[in-house]
Amino acid sequence: MSEIQEVAAPRRRINFGFDKYSGIYVWALLVLVFALWIPDLFLQTSTVKQVLTFQAISAIVALGLILPVAAGAFDLTIAGTLTVSVCFTAWALTNGYGIVVAAGGSILIGIIIGLANSLVVVKLKVNSFIGTLGMSSILIAIAYMITDSSQIVLSTSGYAPFFEFARTELFGLPLSVYYAALIALVFWWILEYTPGGRYLYAVGGNPVASRLAGVRVGRVTMIAFIASGASSAFAGIVYLATIGTATPDSGSGYLLPAFSAVFLGATQIRPGRVNVLGTLVAIFLLATGVTGLQLAGAPSYVTQLFNGAALIVAVALAARTARRQA
Amino acid sequence: MTSATSALSVRNATKIFGAQVALDNVSIDVAAGEVRALVGQNGCGKSTLIKILAGFHEPEPGIEVLVGGESLALGDPIASEAAGLRFVHQDLGLVGNLDTVDNLALGQGYITNATKTISWRKERAKAREALAALGYEINVSMPVAGLQMSERTAVAIARAMSERGTPPKMLILDEPTANLPGPEAQRLYQLVRRVADSGVAVLFVSHHFDEVFEMAESVTVLRDGKLIETRAVAGLTEDELIELVVGRKLEEHDKGEAADREHGTQVLQLSGVGGRNVSGMDLTVHRGEVVGVAGITGSGREEVAALVFGGHERSGEITVDGKTLPQNRPDISIDRGVALVPAERHANASLLDQTLRENITLVDPGRHMSLGILRRNPEKADVRVWLDRLSVKPSGQTEYNMNQLSGGNQQKVILARWLRQEPTVLVLDEPTQGVDVGAKADIHTLVDEAAAQGAAVLVCSTDHEELVRVCDRVVIMRRGKAAEILRGDKITAENITAATIGRDTAEPAA
Ligand SMILES: Nc1ncnc2c1ncn2[C@@H]1O[C@H](COP(=O)(O)OP(=O)(O)OP(=O)(O)O)[C@@H](O)[C@H]1O
Ligand SMILES: [Mg+2]
Repeated sequence: MSEIQEVAAPRRRINFGFDKYSGIYVWALLVLVFALWIPDLFLQTSTVKQVLTFQAISAIVALGLILPVAAGAFDLTIAGTLTVSVCFTAWALTNGYGIVVAAGGSILIGIIIGLANSLVVVKLKVNSFIGTLGMSSILIAIAYMITDSSQIVLSTSGYAPFFEFARTELFGLPLSVYYAALIALVFWWILEYTPGGRYLYAVGGNPVASRLAGVRVGRVTMIAFIASGASSAFAGIVYLATIGTATPDSGSGYLLPAFSAVFLGATQIRPGRVNVLGTLVAIFLLATGVTGLQLAGAPSYVTQLFNGAALIVAVALAARTARRQA
Repeated sequence: MTSATSALSVRNATKIFGAQVALDNVSIDVAAGEVRALVGQNGCGKSTLIKILAGFHEPEPGIEVLVGGESLALGDPIASEAAGLRFVHQDLGLVGNLDTVDNLALGQGYITNATKTISWRKERAKAREALAALGYEINVSMPVAGLQMSERTAVAIARAMSERGTPPKMLILDEPTANLPGPEAQRLYQLVRRVADSGVAVLFVSHHFDEVFEMAESVTVLRDGKLIETRAVAGLTEDELIELVVGRKLEEHDKGEAADREHGTQVLQLSGVGGRNVSGMDLTVHRGEVVGVAGITGSGREEVAALVFGGHERSGEITVDGKTLPQNRPDISIDRGVALVPAERHANASLLDQTLRENITLVDPGRHMSLGILRRNPEKADVRVWLDRLSVKPSGQTEYNMNQLSGGNQQKVILARWLRQEPTVLVLDEPTQGVDVGAKADIHTLVDEAAAQGAAVLVCSTDHEELVRVCDRVVIMRRGKAAEILRGDKITAENITAATIGRDTAEPAA
């Protein structure tokens, strides 16, 4: 201890919020790249519309998934629930039931699936990953039973009022986009501004401590699963009203994108926790990248490639910043 | 002390977290075979120094560390291990869902037989032996998360002491006795002595100064991240040490007030309460009264708090103000005005990667809700008051995450959570675990105040001085029963200790 050493002053780095908002910067960068690369294809209002419309259904599914993940549970039934909802709604409509019965029945089925999931996870104490994996296999079977292993096509002319439910346009965008926005708003409010949100994150953070602080852990988990089930079921109705065809694998493409969006979203806006705004940023970031690439002539498998790579890169970067700060 | 003969020599250790200097140019030398205590207030940088040595924290440049005269590569846990440094961290660093055998094998590998398969029989025998050396007999095939805190501490110690590729040069213990009741701590002292006699240097952190005088030859004091002094323990008095740590004299606290407190009506009543270890326990606590619960590990002491709160299954009846508390329903207990500060803050109380604000308001997050929206600013202001009241450092940082605080400060946050509820019945389980001398005195004053305002307080503690300081009555648990009650002048640390290990024939509990 003979020589006196200057203690370095705390390093002050200029902070542009790169950690929290990196997704938005990357998104802006993507827009710029495609705008320069394929200006006449990319810079079209139709592109914006296409991105928003295509993502409405994914967004509803992913938003629903946020709640169980916040509470520390996986819900792998989201795609299965969507499929069952699509098939049930199509079956009900083609068998002469009204729109209200078909749609209401679907939502009810979603709620029941959520209840069943929470029963398996909370009461039977099965690990949520395994429990909902099993449940989703059962749901696929149910979808096959409903459709008799084939497809149900709703003719555009015969079911016009039902199609209007998703396809009616308001300010140039279909209603489905507004549904997604409304659900996002509600879940954002719940997670950020109500005690319910605190409970969800607390249960996800430490269920034992939450219980000893008076949180009804089982009930919170149940509500999260129900919200997720109902959201996926609603997404199913929107899907059918957008696409018009029900098959037992209608929902198969929705599982991975929803998980990608939620986990990618957990690196954004509020790093380290799954959150609504982050999930939305993730969805539109991925959609913009994929749409741009497709317009530029990339083959269709680029969607899967881009989604997968983006998820891994984002989560790896987030883990690195977390380590630096520790 | 030159670095040539030192087991450990640290020059100019500095660590900055964000805008906060946690460790400011600290240098320390420990000789082979020396037992050194490292003391200082909560958040003064003790664990930070240890985590730098363990390779968990990356220090600022300018530091130099020699282990046995050889330079140590920092920022790499494997290099620290290979250099002969062995650690027991404040949070123990065990893997909860693995059993003792697996935890001991982490980082050192398993015993294999000729066909390279693991010999579980030998592993188990070895694990049992290692723990027996510490005086513990535990089921080594059970996930360690299911063990008592003291048993888990023993597993962590056994792991640090076990044979590795390189012989140990230095054993570094971060608050090893925070979770060990008296007799078990005694065994640890003996073990540390033996280790030191074999030429290994020992550095240990403690907030219990009697341990410093009992175990250490020398003591290093840190304050606000700075090195204050390293001194021989011989010739040092406890008061001098406290002054070095706190930077001022600590006022004497006596319990004059507590003894004269007038007790009101009965509030908490236990009749025939039983749980895993406890059976047939009766107890009444009055408004304004502070009742202590003492007992050795296995006596049922460690279960009482959870039983009262409804944390787990029980038999018998518990009432608060005449209303029955159902078992297994902490939420209802809270509604009836019961608060529990549980032992083992990490497992039972903390949301480590959430803010102090969210940790404190978890019990009633809706308090600052208006027009369907949680108002963050009033919530912050409310939380700040409580952080200040418990002198949580760094002060006023409602948006810090729990895991950015030092261990003792985390404990204060949990206390803040429950004191803020102004409970009718306040149940405290090891309330000052890991808390420094100054803060401990403050917490005891807060307990006095809670009682003065009419709370019925139950304090379960292995810190007998603490019970003497705050209690009007001390219940001694033996073999699952409230075996004896100490009152008034009878409440001394010696009497409590004697009673906890005492005869079963003494004056029965009322
Ligand atoms: N990961 C972290 N991020 C930010 N600040 C941290 C982090 N870890 C520790 N600190 C800060 O560094 C300071 C020193 O903490 P440290 O854990 O070393 O204290 P300590 O002396 O071990 O205290 P205790 O007696 O309470 O265990 C504290 O002010 C703490 O808030
Ligand atoms: Mg510490």
